[in-house]
Amino acid sequence: MTPDLSAAAPIQRPSLFERHYFLLRRLHSLTGIVPIGVFLIAHLTTNSAVAWGRFGLRGEFPDMGVRDGGVAYFWREVLWINQQVPHLILIEVVLWLSIAYHSVLGVYFAAQGRCNAHQYRYQDNWRYTLQRVSGYVGILFIFYHVATLRWGWTWLVPGGASWDHQRSASTLAAALRGGENFTAAGLAVSLFYFIGVSLLVFHFVNGLWTAAITWGITVSAGAQRQWGYICAALGTGLMLAAWASVIGFATLSPAQAARVEDTARGQPFKVGM
Amino acid sequence: MATDKRVIVVGGGLAGLAAAVRLAEAGTPVDMFSLVPVKRSHSVCAQGGINACNEVARQQGYSEYEHFDETVYGGDFLADQHPVLEMANWAPRIIDLLDRMGVPFNRTSEGYRDLRLFGGSLFKRTHFSGATTGQQLLYALDEQTRRYETEGKVSKYEFWEFLWPVVENNRVVGIVAQDLRTMQVRSFRAAAVVMATGGCGLVYGKSTNSIICTGAANSRAFQAGAWYGNPEMIQVHPTAIPGADKLRLMSESARGEGGRVWVPRKKGDARAAKDIPEAQRYYFLEERYPAYGNIVPRDIATREIFAVCVNDGMGVNGENSVYLDLTHKDPDYLTRKLGGILDIYQKFVGVDPRFEPMKIFPAVHYSMGGLWTTFTKGSYNPAGPIPKHKSGSPAPIGSAIGQGMQPGAPNNAMTNVEGLYAFGEANFGYHGANRLGANALLSCIFDGLFCGQSVQTYIKIADTSAAPQSLFDAVVRQEESKAAAFTSTVSKGQPTPENNPYQIHKELGVEMTAACTVVKSEPRLRQAQVKVDELRDRFARVQLGDAATWTNQTLAYTRAVGDMLVLADAIVKGSLQRKESRGAHYRTDHPDRNDAEFMKATVAKFNPADRSVSVGLMDIDASLIEPTARTYGKKP
Amino acid sequence: MATHLNATPPPDAAPPSRGPATPGRTVNFKVRRCDGPGKPGRWETFAVTVERGSNVISCLQQIAANPVTVEGTRTTPVVWDSGCLEEVCGACTMVINGKVRQSCSCLIDNYAPGEGDTITLEPMQKFPVVRDLWVDRSRMFSALRRLKTWVPIDGTYSQGAGPKETPDDQEIRYKLSECMTCGCCVDACPQFLLEPDPARWETSFVGAHAVSLARLFNEHPTGRTLAPHRLEVLSGHGGINDCGNAQNCVKVCPKHIPLTESIGQIGRAVTVHQIKKIFFARPDPHAAAKGPG
Repeated sequence: MTPDLSAAAPIQRPSLFERHYFLLRRLHSLTGIVPIGVFLIAHLTTNSAVAWGRFGLRGEFPDMGVRDGGVAYFWREVLWINQQVPHLILIEVVLWLSIAYHSVLGVYFAAQGRCNAHQYRYQDNWRYTLQRVSGYVGILFIFYHVATLRWGWTWLVPGGASWDHQRSASTLAAALRGGENFTAAGLAVSLFYFIGVSLLVFHFVNGLWTAAITWGITVSAGAQRQWGYICAALGTGLMLAAWASVIGFATLSPAQAARVEDTARGQPFKVGM
Repeated sequence: MATDKRVIVVGGGLAGLAAAVRLAEAGTPVDMFSLVPVKRSHSVCAQGGINACNEVARQQGYSEYEHFDETVYGGDFLADQHPVLEMANWAPRIIDLLDRMGVPFNRTSEGYRDLRLFGGSLFKRTHFSGATTGQQLLYALDEQTRRYETEGKVSKYEFWEFLWPVVENNRVVGIVAQDLRTMQVRSFRAAAVVMATGGCGLVYGKSTNSIICTGAANSRAFQAGAWYGNPEMIQVHPTAIPGADKLRLMSESARGEGGRVWVPRKKGDARAAKDIPEAQRYYFLEERYPAYGNIVPRDIATREIFAVCVNDGMGVNGENSVYLDLTHKDPDYLTRKLGGILDIYQKFVGVDPRFEPMKIFPAVHYSMGGLWTTFTKGSYNPAGPIPKHKSGSPAPIGSAIGQGMQPGAPNNAMTNVEGLYAFGEANFGYHGANRLGANALLSCIFDGLFCGQSVQTYIKIADTSAAPQSLFDAVVRQEESKAAAFTSTVSKGQPTPENNPYQIHKELGVEMTAACTVVKSEPRLRQAQVKVDELRDRFARVQLGDAATWTNQTLAYTRAVGDMLVLADAIVKGSLQRKESRGAHYRTDHPDRNDAEFMKATVAKFNPADRSVSVGLMDIDASLIEPTARTYGKKP
Repeated sequence: MATHLNATPPPDAAPPSRGPATPGRTVNFKVRRCDGPGKPGRWETFAVTVERGSNVISCLQQIAANPVTVEGTRTTPVVWDSGCLEEVCGACTMVINGKVRQSCSCLIDNYAPGEGDTITLEPMQKFPVVRDLWVDRSRMFSALRRLKTWVPIDGTYSQGAGPKETPDDQEIRYKLSECMTCGCCVDACPQFLLEPDPARWETSFVGAHAVSLARLFNEHPTGRTLAPHRLEVLSGHGGINDCGNAQNCVKVCPKHIPLTESIGQIGRAVTVHQIKKIFFARPDPHAAAKGPG
């Protein structure tokens, strides 16, 4: 009946959150791509080296098979990152802050919606739902991943393996398997890694797709579709890398990996590989 | 009590919104009452377009004057002529205004407004926005109204029903209305009340109208003392899609864009339309009216279709339907020009009219009749009426404003009740005995803008603030007790077919459609009068099925049925009295026009004492054009 | 421009099957009833005899005339909202068999082709119920007021024609302008939630319809003068950033309006608007909120 004159109501000074809502939202979108997304690509590239690294050795360790060569390459890559990349701690802090920001705001924003994919069973709507599910699971996974392998919360690791960048491949394999051999708990950890990493890859590429609409890069339905294909291609690549990493390390014998690490350490170290 | 002289506008369609915008712009506070959010008003259903002379047509020989002439001729010389002249002269200005409001009119390749051909004219002079022109115009005015609403100049009362005008010494001082959600009944004061309440298609049960077009608001104003003009003039649109709940309009623009109406030459030809060769198709409108062809005015097209189906039994498959064929046109062109209406056909019939001819039949569409209104003549007053304008010849006068009606004269579009105005379809003016296609949107907006100015003048001179509160309270009590009487019937048990409001309405619709549409006759009308009397009698004992005190739709519906019965009474009585044929009103027992006796307006009056309806005749203003036979060049 | 010609109907809008559905069969309508705000809900089922071409409204009309449930209990007529019955007014939106749509164009032959089939009718989910199937959608109109979705003309006096426009631009605007504020897009939207409290509408998602209409008026040469205001509103909480890109809106829109394109377009406009604000000018946000006209 009587008009809602909310537009003419006395203007109260909005909260800091309301005043900077746009910035906060777009920062959320941006952090998902840079640095988190970029780091994800780099991280998966490094880790999947366990599968393809043999072919990047450029003639070194000619006796090594695909498996051992991959381990050697991976091990050396990790060592390089940990010893040679400048300002590593700064990069890590920025990354952690970004992840924390993206997570906290992401959870808050996700709580503003109610998934209805069971009712409206459209592909886009399923992706909307999965984006939120993958966000929640992703946060848990990243926390577990970082806590166990970076902060040394070994009490959360079956078998108690402690990751060490000097022994990156063997300690990682042990952390995934629960020891030298697969334990039930180790299997669960591997499975968690598999699901967690897969969901994060999805979260990243689907986020990339929606970000293009949010920022107004893809406007027409055609452009959104084309960009969707590109994101799907990127997602496929990253997914393969993710699976290769998880399966690669989960099926790796820590003892054998340790032998490869020893062999590799005997070689002169080349900077800027 | 000091008032800031508010104006009440009842109805939020094109006419009501245009009035609200014009008044709010002048600084007058407006209270707008509507059964529905104004964006859902019935104007939204108008499809084809809006007529106005434009520069291209003008250079081809057309003029505002010819538009005026066509409208009077199309209305079979029943309309008061001065208002029609003013409306035609304003038309181009109205189009420009709508254009500025952002209406997405279809464009030529160079970016000018495109025109299409419409019934009753040999010139392209109809502006359009796809095939949902009414929707687009309504939205533009809805947006402007929303702007004033945001500024606090218009207060909307949506889901409020107008129940009764409050009248003091034949002067309106406010209204009583009901909130259809809370069921609260209350009065509102105003210096003037504009009835922009549309038509009454639901009197006929199924029509092309929205379910809100009961005519109840007009009927209430009528029962409260306003006169009702030309009730018998009901337009039956030639092309509609038959349906279970309503008859969906298939716009005249389908014919304007080249649609051809035909039936198989062979009676009962069972072949599919596309299998019938050209030579075996009977394009009866084109053959009978070589000049106008498929775009003869609606009453003529309707009667011809009716004759072909009902009298000659030549309808498609022996049924009451004829083909409306667009399949010879390019499908992309059709989508661009007519997408909206073709989608409606496809959605509700399941056949794509781009590739298969539509099956259509006439349906009740528009009420030329409405509340009787008056006006002040403008400056053009020739010594006597001049002969009908020859199409394409130079116009005798220019198109300056104020020649037809005097701008701002307080009585323009005012009913016999002082301060009570009727705008748009609710107004009996402009269209006479038949409305030309694409003139309705024009008359709505013209009333709102031009006659809105008159309201503005009136409220300056009228002081209604002294009306005693007891007067308002009495009308509130009257309406509350009416409602209470309806809901109290619920306790009496279940409605029977005898007293079920839905049944009464259904029987009314069937009877009115059979007796009071395309062809009428004395015996059939007498029979209808008996039926309407019987239904009014039964309605006195009506029984409801819902006593709810919250959002009781049954109450609102039943109340409207009672008011529809009163209008039906007026329609039948008007039809009986008019012993001639004119425009949409065709009497088989009086097939010719009789100007000597009946070139006059029917005026119905309501006697509150015995609730009876009486009709009389009143002179019209025919001082500008001499009447001629309205043949549209029909071949003998 | 292609959006108009190539608009594909949503998957549910298949033409009526003209095969097996037999006229005169009985169809059950399971209707969600509620006597008013705060009152408990209940289900009632009615059996209706349907004809060829029957739709949900014509069946509800039959129920209203004789409201007796399948159990034989007499009840009150079902309350619902409707208007034009030809899908241009936007009134009769309901949730039919779990999905939101216009009920007038919902042909029974498509939804219940067999004898004894059941159709479920529920009110829209994102708006407060007034009674039965009738909901209060004033939040949608409130969003239009906030966004000033109009062309700020000087007045209604004659001032000549509006701006010229190419047919392509007209087609885009016409398509956007067909929005009838029916609410399908927001009812299916996972980001648009039921919010009965008008005080919180300003920080709740406006929905695709409002974003699209903002775009419509930003496209108009005169309407554009209010674009900074609209973009400022859409930058904030409840604006374009709250879209979750589930894209249900465009799939349930009965008018096939390219809503997701409007979302992309406004996303771009808001991005540019904010960048301009940061680097080129910093208008007083209060002035922007009031804006002209």
